[in-house]
Amino acid sequence: MSLRRTRWAAAAFLLFFLVVVTWPGILPFNRVEPRILGMPFIMAWQTGLLILTGILLYLVDRVEARERKK
Amino acid sequence: MERWQLILAVIVVYLAITLGIGLAAGRRSSKSVAGFVAGDREFGLLVMYFVTGASVFSAFAFLGGPGWAYSRGAAAFYILSYGVLGMAPWYWIGPRVAQVGRRMGYVTQAQLLVGRFPSRFLSVAIATLTLVAFVPYITLQMRGAGIVIEAVTDGHVSLAVGAGVAYGIVIVYVLRSGVVAVGWTNTFQGIFMLAIAWALGIYLPFRLYGGIGPMFEQIAAARPELLTPPGLTASGDPWTWGGYSTAILVSAIGLQMWPHLFMKAFTARNDDIIRRTVILFPTFQLFLVPVFLIGFAGVLFPETPPSSDFILPFLVLSTGLPALVVGLFCAGALSASMSTGDALLHGAASVVVEDGVRPFMDLSDERQRTVMQVLIVVVGLVAYWQALDAESSLVQLLLGSYGIISQLAPPVLAALYWRRATTAGVVAGLLAGAGTAVFFYIFGELRPLDLHEGILGLMVHIPVLITVSLATPAQDTEHVAHFVESRTAPFSQPETHHA
Repeated sequence: MSLRRTRWAAAAFLLFFLVVVTWPGILPFNRVEPRILGMPFIMAWQTGLLILTGILLYLVDRVEARERKK
Repeated sequence: MERWQLILAVIVVYLAITLGIGLAAGRRSSKSVAGFVAGDREFGLLVMYFVTGASVFSAFAFLGGPGWAYSRGAAAFYILSYGVLGMAPWYWIGPRVAQVGRRMGYVTQAQLLVGRFPSRFLSVAIATLTLVAFVPYITLQMRGAGIVIEAVTDGHVSLAVGAGVAYGIVIVYVLRSGVVAVGWTNTFQGIFMLAIAWALGIYLPFRLYGGIGPMFEQIAAARPELLTPPGLTASGDPWTWGGYSTAILVSAIGLQMWPHLFMKAFTARNDDIIRRTVILFPTFQLFLVPVFLIGFAGVLFPETPPSSDFILPFLVLSTGLPALVVGLFCAGALSASMSTGDALLHGAASVVVEDGVRPFMDLSDERQRTVMQVLIVVVGLVAYWQALDAESSLVQLLLGSYGIISQLAPPVLAALYWRRATTAGVVAGLLAGAGTAVFFYIFGELRPLDLHEGILGLMVHIPVLITVSLATPAQDTEHVAHFVESRTAPFSQPETHHA
């Protein structure tokens, strides 16, 4: 992916993150069941977003690093 | 040996190791101001990772996090969301700050802002703001340390003595070794708090309920209102969505604007270290999961602690854990407290001298370092004196300080990304934004939709910054080029290097 598109995608993901953890975007995920690893769904969902962000930042870094080398 | 003596022995060993690491760390750093404040810009990935994680997550997260989950339930989840949201943009902003810092010789946030927007007022305003926001923050860390020590030794070591000894040690190693000591002790303390949080967070639900699943099943049956945001307020009423959502927003915006975190961009050996620190930050932040599990484990516990912030020491003491484990837990809590406290003390002194004193007085490098060291002791004593006086309003003050700190975000972004921003615009915006935030902090009941006062401040701040900037003459293009990267060419080199 090109640098520009990668950055746009990263910005879009962070915006998505913000929307789904605040009102009203959080509402569809704001439930206890189904529980994941014993935790309420909303807690597991927010933890999952955290992990996903780490993975995506790593992927972004690979594109950015390739671009910096040029 | 009695139980409390064994626990105390573990704490003493922990403190001795911390002191040893702190003192040993400074042997290699230079005696200059750049060495004391920015570690000669030589921090590697390991140290940066733990400095960032351990400075962000303080005694507030380690003791307050379980306290929130215990008393306010899912309201605590806001902490889970804001950290990484606030940190991710730093992947791009952090290296930019570091580049400008290296080229222009900056070691503080205010130097960067005043470099782009020359104004002594701005410099002093930021120094004052930093001090006002830091003292209650340091006080809280000290109280956290003192409370834990007093609780686990059955009162044999009082809050005053515990906090005094722990922070005496912090002051000794910060004076001796500057930010390098902060870096290496935070590495040790960070590993410690992660290990303790994960171990206890998984152990306690199993010990008390037979597992994480059964624990939440029982809470869902007895107290379902605790399991979904926005959770409860401190007084036990349902929290509002406006309050919950803007708490995430203002904390994410304010996070990296805390001067003691911002300044760490100037300590990294190279830009890749900053980027990797950001990428790895979520792995540190995950420790909030066990921290919340500890708090939830207390919800259905038959006895109640004297205050919700005591839930962690209370649970640890009343579940009959071996003394060694209690001692290690206590060391974990001290780690959380001291790793933030040292960064704050060091940051406060650096900022006051660099931005509050130096613009008005010519000080030699050596003198500056001395004045900083004196200030570290003075700030430490003021905070200690306040820590002995149990004022609940301090917590309020800390929550309010995010409203002020977040007002530093528009000037920083304008300095690095907006060519047309002017000094008048930035000063006017800062005054209007901070004024609005303070107004709604004092008259909290006037806030529309329970929005956080920092967000209300930004809603005034940003339009004022833009309007006044556009109404005043643009800055010299050559001057701006030192700060804002052009699309075609990288940074231009400044003609003169500041020391």
